[in-house]
Amino acid sequence: MNLQKIAMGLGLSIALVACTKDEETIVVPVSAITVKDLAADTVTGLGLDGRPQSAGTTTYYSLVDNKAIASTDAASTKWDIAFSSTKILINGGTSGPGIGGAFVQIGSFDTFTSIPADSNFKTDNANAASFAIPLGSGKAWYNYDGLTTLVSPIAGRVLVIRTATGKFAKIEIISYYKGGVTLPASASVNDKLFKQRYYTFRDAYQANGSKDF
Amino acid sequence: MSKKPLLLLFFIIPQCLWGQAKFVNDTLFSNSDSVVVTATRTERKLNNLTVPVTIINAKTIQQNGSLRLTDILKEQTGINLTSGFGAGIQLQGLNPDYTIILINGEPLVGRTAGVLDLNRIALGNIKKIEIVKGPSSSLYGSEAMAGVINIITDASMGAPLTMGLRYGTYNTIDANLETKLQTSNFQYQGFLNSYNTDGYSIRPNSNSRVTTPIDRYSTTQQIKWDLSSKTNFVLNTRYTSEQIQNEIAVANNGVTIYSIGKENIKDINASATINHRFSKALKTSVRTYTTTYDAIQNLLTINGLPYRDVLNHNFKRIENQTDWNLSKKLQAVFGLGAVWEGVKSSRYDSEKLRKQNDIQYAFTQWEWKPSEQFTLISGLRFDQNRQFASAYSPKISMLYKLNPQHQFRFSVGQGFKAPDFRQLFLDFTNAAAGSYSVFGSAQAQQVIARLDALGQIGNLFPNYYLLKALKPEYSNGMHFTWDWKINTRSAVSLQLFRNDIKNLIESQQVGTYITGAQIFSYLNIGRAFTTGFEAEGQHRFNANWSLNGGYQFLSTGDKDQIAAIKSGTVYTKNNQGYSRLMKLNEYVGLPNTSTHKLQVKLNYNSPKGYYLNLRAIYRSRWAVNNNNGNEVFDNGDVFASGYVAINSAAGKSFKNGLSIQGGVDNISNYIDAANLPNLPGRTFYTSIKYQLQKNKN
Repeated sequence: MNLQKIAMGLGLSIALVACTKDEETIVVPVSAITVKDLAADTVTGLGLDGRPQSAGTTTYYSLVDNKAIASTDAASTKWDIAFSSTKILINGGTSGPGIGGAFVQIGSFDTFTSIPADSNFKTDNANAASFAIPLGSGKAWYNYDGLTTLVSPIAGRVLVIRTATGKFAKIEIISYYKGGVTLPASASVNDKLFKQRYYTFRDAYQANGSKDF
Repeated sequence: MSKKPLLLLFFIIPQCLWGQAKFVNDTLFSNSDSVVVTATRTERKLNNLTVPVTIINAKTIQQNGSLRLTDILKEQTGINLTSGFGAGIQLQGLNPDYTIILINGEPLVGRTAGVLDLNRIALGNIKKIEIVKGPSSSLYGSEAMAGVINIITDASMGAPLTMGLRYGTYNTIDANLETKLQTSNFQYQGFLNSYNTDGYSIRPNSNSRVTTPIDRYSTTQQIKWDLSSKTNFVLNTRYTSEQIQNEIAVANNGVTIYSIGKENIKDINASATINHRFSKALKTSVRTYTTTYDAIQNLLTINGLPYRDVLNHNFKRIENQTDWNLSKKLQAVFGLGAVWEGVKSSRYDSEKLRKQNDIQYAFTQWEWKPSEQFTLISGLRFDQNRQFASAYSPKISMLYKLNPQHQFRFSVGQGFKAPDFRQLFLDFTNAAAGSYSVFGSAQAQQVIARLDALGQIGNLFPNYYLLKALKPEYSNGMHFTWDWKINTRSAVSLQLFRNDIKNLIESQQVGTYITGAQIFSYLNIGRAFTTGFEAEGQHRFNANWSLNGGYQFLSTGDKDQIAAIKSGTVYTKNNQGYSRLMKLNEYVGLPNTSTHKLQVKLNYNSPKGYYLNLRAIYRSRWAVNNNNGNEVFDNGDVFASGYVAINSAAGKSFKNGLSIQGGVDNISNYIDAANLPNLPGRTFYTSIKYQLQKNKN
C-alpha cells in the first residue's frame, strides 16, 4: 500500500517542552499528521456498461495507530474510520462494533481546537446518505462537478470524529486524487479514472480522551 | 511628385466613403444618419436614439472575412464568445440565454441548455447587424434581458447577381449565390450558402475532434411587394440544414462513453408581413411568423448501444403594431400579439408529446421630443402565459444633445427571461453515467411523488419542499452613455452599465434515489449583478488609414455568495490544501466572465479598392472550474489564461465587380483546447467574389 505518514510534529515538540507545574490545567496540543494517498476501492477498469469497475473494497484505518487495518478486522474496534470511494464509514452504528460517531463542522481545521460540549455526534445507519459523514455531493466533505467529473473536497469542512473506543479526533480531507492534489479539469480521462479514490487527509487525534486539540 | 494628385485624392475620397467604401465602425462615425429599427421598433436615426446601439454593416463583415455570426460578434466591444452547446455570446457579462437573436425582427429558436448556436447563421447576405445593449423586454419580451441582436437582410439594394467562393484551412469551403430582382413595385432577394468543413482537432492524441466535420446549407428568400403606394407586403423565408459528424467522448463520474454518429439539424423560418399606411401620421403592420427547429442526434456508443437525442421546437406568432404620430413632438407605438410555442424532446417524459405554452402580450411605447436637444421614450410590455408567472417590463430612456459634439443617453429598464421548456419539463435520467435524474420544475413533485410511492426515493432534501411554479428571471438594467465627437477625425464613447438580476433559475439537488443517485430540479434562487464600463474610440489618420478600438471593464458577482463570504462561512484552501477563511477581495465573481476585454482594429482603405485590416482581440483570464469545493470562485480556482488573438485580412475590389480577399485568423496560433474549443489554431483563407454590375443609366 502506498501509504506515507508525515508527522507535522513541530507544534508538538515545542508544546511538550512548555510544561509547567500546573499539570492538571495543561492542554497538550495535538500534532497533526498528514496521510497521503490512502487507496480506497481504486478503479480497476472500465466496465462494458461504461461505469468504472472496482473490487468494492473498503479501506479501514486506525486514527490511534495511524495505519491501515486489515479488512479481516472489520468487525473489531481496531479501526476508527473507513473509506470506500466517496463513502466514509465510522466504526459504530451499522458500520462496526465500536462506539464511534462523527459530525461535519464548518470551519478551519487549525482554528477548530475544541469540540463544543453540546455537539451531536451521529452514527452510521442503514442509509449511506444519512451516515455520520453523509454520502453525496455537497452533503459533507466534497462537491462533485458533473462537467469536469472531478471530486473536490469542500474548503472549510472539518470531520469531527469519535473513535471506536470513544476518543476524539478531527480530520480535514485534502484530496481525492493520487498525488494529493485535485486533478485539473483538463486531466485525461484515464487519469480521472485511475487516479481517483486516493485520500490525502490530515488528522489530529487526542489520545487523552479530552475534547481539546 | 506634385501636390496635385494628393488633392485629387481628397476629392475622390468622400465619394468612396459614401459609395462603396463606407467607414468601418459605423456606430461612432459618420453614420449618424444610419437608420436603426431594433432600438424602438420604428425607424430612427442612430444619433436620435435614446439607448446604446452598435451597428455592423455589410462592408465591415465582408472586409473582416467573417463567415458566421460568431466571427463578427466576437470582435465587438462587450461581447465574448462562449463554448459548450454550440457557440453563444455573452453580452455585458450575461450568459447566452439572456440575449434574444432576431432575424429581420423575428426570434430564432432552438436553444440547447439556453445557448443558441450562432454558427448556424451565415453572413453572406446580411445588410447589417444591430446590437442593442440593455434590457429590451419592454419591446421584445422574454430573453431580451441583456440585449437584442437583430440581423437584417434587405432586398432593396445591391447587385442583381453575386457569387462568392472561399477556401480555407481544414478544407473549409464556403460558397454563396445571391440574386436580386427589382421592378418598380417588386423586390426579390434569394440567397444560397453552403459551408463544408473537415473540422479540426487541436487536442493532441485525442480521437475526438474539437470541431467535427460539418455540412451546412442555408437559403433565404425575401420578397417585398408594393401593393399600392400605401400598402406593402414582405415575405421572408429561411431554411438551414446541417449535418454534423459526431465523435463524442462523454464522461460523467469517471464514466466515459465514446460514440460516433450524426447530428441532423433543420431550421425553418417564415414570416409574412403586411404594412399599411393610413396617413402620414398613422401606419400599422400585421406580422405572422412561424419557425421550427428540429435536431436529431443518432449515436452509436462504443459498446454498440444506440443513443438518440431529439429536440423539436416550434414557435408561431402573430403580431400587430401600430405607429401613431400624434404630433411632431409626440409619437406612440402600440402592439399586441400572441405566441404558440411547443417542444418535443427525448429528454422529456415522452418524445411524442409536445409540451405547449401560449403567450399573449401587449406593449406600448411613447416618444416625446419637446426640443431638438431632448428625447424621452418610455415603454411598457405585459406578457401573460399559461406555464409560468406573468411579467411586466417597463423601460425609460432619454437622450440629451448638449451640442453637436456631446450627446448623453440614459436608460433604465427591466428585462425578463421566461423559464424555458427544459426548466419546466425536462425528464432526463442519465442511465449510463451515475443514473442521476433531472426533472423540470413543472412536474418534479409529481414525478418524485410517484417514484416515492414505488419505494425508489432515498432522501428528499429541503429544496424539494421549495419547488413551485417558476417565476421568470428578472434583470434591472441601467445604461449611461456619453458620445463625444472630438473632431471630424476622432470620436469616443463611454458607457457605464449595471444589471441586477434576481430569481435566477438554477438546478439544485432535491433528493436522492435509494441507490444514492442524485435527483435535480430547478428553483428560482440566485441573485447576481454585472457592472462595468465600455469605452470605444475611433481615429482617422488620413483618408486611407484609421484605427478603432473598444475596451470593456466588467465586474460580476453572485450576491448570495458575497453575503456568505461577508458572514464568514466561506473557506478557501491554501496551496497545501489546508482550509482557511476566504476574504472578500479574493472573490472573482461569476465564472466565464473576464474583467478586461480589448479589441483594436487598424484599417486601410484605398480609393483604388485595396483594403487591409489588422485586428487584435485581448480577453483576460476567466474562472472555469471550482477546485476547492467551496463553489465560490476565488483566486485559488482554475482559470483559463488570458489571450490575444490577431486576425488580418486584405483584398481588392475591382471596378468590374470582381473582388478578391485573403486572410489569416489567429496569426499567433493561440490554442487552448479545453477552454476555447471555438478557436482553432492559425487558419488561412482566400476568397473570390463577383458581383454582376447593374446597368447604370
